[in-house]
Amino acid sequence: MTETPATGQSYRPYDLVKEFVIALGVVVVLTVGLAVVFSSPDDRPITLASWSNADPNDFVATSVTELDGTSATATYGPPYTTTSGAAQRIGPLSPQQWAGVRHPVDTAHDFVLDPLERASAHDPLLSLALQVYATAPSAQERAWTAHYSAALAKAPGGDPTKVPAGDYGPVPVMMGRLLGLAQAGGLDGTLQSEGGVRFYQTDYTRPLLYLSDGSYLESRARAQHLAGDQWGMMNETGNYPGQAWLWLYTFWYQVPPFSSSANADALVWGVMAVLTLALVLLPFIPGLRSIPRLVPVYRLIWRDHYRRQNPPR
Amino acid sequence: MSWGRALSTPVDLNHPGHYLHWGVVQLSLANLVVIGLMILLFVLALIVPFPKGKRRGRR
Repeated sequence: MTETPATGQSYRPYDLVKEFVIALGVVVVLTVGLAVVFSSPDDRPITLASWSNADPNDFVATSVTELDGTSATATYGPPYTTTSGAAQRIGPLSPQQWAGVRHPVDTAHDFVLDPLERASAHDPLLSLALQVYATAPSAQERAWTAHYSAALAKAPGGDPTKVPAGDYGPVPVMMGRLLGLAQAGGLDGTLQSEGGVRFYQTDYTRPLLYLSDGSYLESRARAQHLAGDQWGMMNETGNYPGQAWLWLYTFWYQVPPFSSSANADALVWGVMAVLTLALVLLPFIPGLRSIPRLVPVYRLIWRDHYRRQNPPR
Repeated sequence: MSWGRALSTPVDLNHPGHYLHWGVVQLSLANLVVIGLMILLFVLALIVPFPKGKRRGRR
């Protein structure tokens, strides 16, 4: 401790560079050591191929909703679709709509019809099915998919092979071919390359949206405690620790009114934005800014200094 | 010994996780351990005295 003669204030010499180097060394040793001992989560990725092989019935049921535009993605609103009234709101505000539809997705064409079109070059039956579907009136298309969805829901286990004969038009042939394409891995590549126009395939938005429309991904997530109502943001697969620092963000999703609100994402975002603003503006908020003075933890840290200032009598 | 076995980690955490429930709170055991370690470090940072280095400015 040194003392300046002019003010009588005492200062403690502090080597910031030394502290930084020591901290860096400790972090590097901890990172390498923990990686050697514990490695990292190693769950195999879920793809359209693995989904359609593991749960083909769910894949087909989901694909019919993509085709007739009733899936969650098809009715999501911005940034994927223009569905009116779908965007979440915070009272009169709807931040979800502010940037508009930045990543347009037409589930019928992007997920079903276009991939099938590309796969139909050497498949006369599929070509015919697609032609029949494309030339039918919209009302007829909707009737075929509605009948097929209802029949799938009634079939044992939702199994497409156990659907009785009915007025489904070309839909069963299309779904059968789409299932085969997905099981072979072709649908993953087609969606990522957006029909072969992209060489570097780093945009997983479309396959992820497709996966999230089915129940398979959610059931896998629930089994690993990764769902939104399971504090999933904080968790990691297996026995690994997750993102514990997101506790407050995910906490709101567990309690009313957020837990039962259709606008939960927007409301939780709004609450966290207000709380973050309060943290940034803490020095200007009366009462809150006095907490360090009222709870003097700093006196515990610098107890040597304060003991010297007020020696015991 | 195979290469896979030789390169495997001593502690494999790729097993179903253990979770604790208190009412609305669900917390993984792994997160609880990490939170406990963070609190322990915080308390140690408060109570462990500063190292007494060489004093400067004095000969």
